[in-house]
Amino acid sequence: VVRAMTRRGQWLGYVLIAPLALWLAATMLYPLAVTVRTSVSSVGIIGTGGGFSGWSNYAAVLSSPLFREAGVRSLEWVGGNAILQTALALVAALVLNEKLRGRTFARTWIVVSWVVPTVVIAIIGRWMLNGAVGVIQYLLLATHLVRAPVDFFGDPSTALATTIVINSWHWFPFLAVILLASLQAVPQEYYEAAAIDGASAWGRFRAVTWPALQPTMFVLGLIGTLWSVNIFDVIWLLTQGGPANGTTTLPVYIYEQAFQAFNMGGAAAASMIMGVALFLFAALYLRFAAPREEGWA
Amino acid sequence: VKEALTAAPAVARRTRRGARHIRAGNVVAYVLMALLLALVLAPLYWLVISSAKPAAEVIRQPPTFFPAAWSGQHFSDLFAASDYPIYLRNSVEVALGTVVLTLVLAAPAAYAVYRIPFRGRGVVLRGFLLAYAFPSIVLLVPLYRMMSAVHLINTLASLVTVNVTFAAPFSVWMLQAFFRTVPVELEEAAAIDGAGWASILIRVLLPLIAPGLITIAIFAFISSWTEFTFASALILDDARKTLPVGLAQIIGQYQIDWGLLAAGAVVTVAPVLIFFGLIGRRFVSGLTAGAIK
Repeated sequence: VVRAMTRRGQWLGYVLIAPLALWLAATMLYPLAVTVRTSVSSVGIIGTGGGFSGWSNYAAVLSSPLFREAGVRSLEWVGGNAILQTALALVAALVLNEKLRGRTFARTWIVVSWVVPTVVIAIIGRWMLNGAVGVIQYLLLATHLVRAPVDFFGDPSTALATTIVINSWHWFPFLAVILLASLQAVPQEYYEAAAIDGASAWGRFRAVTWPALQPTMFVLGLIGTLWSVNIFDVIWLLTQGGPANGTTTLPVYIYEQAFQAFNMGGAAAASMIMGVALFLFAALYLRFAAPREEGWA
Repeated sequence: VKEALTAAPAVARRTRRGARHIRAGNVVAYVLMALLLALVLAPLYWLVISSAKPAAEVIRQPPTFFPAAWSGQHFSDLFAASDYPIYLRNSVEVALGTVVLTLVLAAPAAYAVYRIPFRGRGVVLRGFLLAYAFPSIVLLVPLYRMMSAVHLINTLASLVTVNVTFAAPFSVWMLQAFFRTVPVELEEAAAIDGAGWASILIRVLLPLIAPGLITIAIFAFISSWTEFTFASALILDDARKTLPVGLAQIIGQYQIDWGLLAAGAVVTVAPVLIFFGLIGRRFVSGLTAGAIK
């Protein structure tokens, strides 16, 4: 009877998994194959076929200074976001893990910026930082932190930093609740024991909290990087990649090539290069950055 | 740490001394908590009051931190004199389609992965995780070409398709935590009582998994509601644009009417906030439970 049940279970398992598996095959795997094909075809405007063109799209993309700059810009984007978001999320998680009055409310509502639509985030950013009537400009001037309004989006270097700050505002709460969840999994006794040992707050953090966070940080380091590289919407909505391509990261470059220059082949080749680079990053990360099993109790 | 653990009972009385210490630390923690909440909520507060000020007050310098007068003008303009109602309708349709399809695809798949020991389920599960981390921008060009080829370009159905693709894998993953809370024994007991798998599913499992299904429904709704990249590439007609793309067009205008834009943003964010207010706590716990393992 048991064997009959498991055999039927096997069959049922495949039936239940099939719709989603097929769906993803059709909308992720197949398009991926299409990308490969497009990247080696001379495809211009939408719909037109185009013949095999070998590596010429790749050669064109790789020799384009704009593409290489976009690659560097993407690295800066990922690095800036990683540092800022990790710092904010860590502080938030540690604070919300304390036994404080109102923390249930805070734990829920801190996530709210993560669910706000990106377009609304862009509107808030542009509105609050507006050079003439932005409230942040007003506050900066009123507190004498700056002498003249800051052109947040007008200068290539400040534009990238500004978009990074705004994107971090969007994402850090998500990281915070995930870090918080792994903090909550730490048995309270470990903290008590460390306190009895006479460990300072910093000592407790180093001996208990930090090691406990490592597995989660490891996963977030990978998934967060992949997501972060992928971000297009907030940049596009805030700066459209400008000024002077100062915020043109790889996704912005791909979008511009595809829908403004109508160079589908080039966009596909750039997508492939980005995809392969991320795959290599993921492989190396999993190989070399995995947390060791030592440390925490 | 381990040694201290074993010695813990003997030194328990010493912990009293730490109490005052913790109190001082609490003040810092309260201040930080207030600052973090302000960091997240203040921009939303600013958006809301900007949408409710009369046009002249919106851009008055120095700004008023609490409206001197209230006005519903921007909201009535939004619904009377712009395409906003069309965008709103389109967004609702796409979001509902995404929610339904995500539930239909993800719930059975999650049941299979977490309850049926079929061969290769580890591979399937890892595949879903991979799909969840996959950089969607890589698919922008081919999905555009595919949608053109099957004449789905410029339709709301193309957006539903894409949104489901990006929401469903994570939804399967999030359901793991909810399946864990339901002991397998419950199903086995029902099976021994002679219940068929369909009735086990409907009478035993579904009610217990309902919070999980609500969580992924909200997740799918929010992902769809906020999606911009594909909606801006796959839709060409003004009449089929969704809220994020429609609003983005207003940002792009030469003379920005900030009051109107703020009102548009408020109406766009409102459904998300209402959902969040209703079941935010459960959503956050479902999210973390699913994401952590």
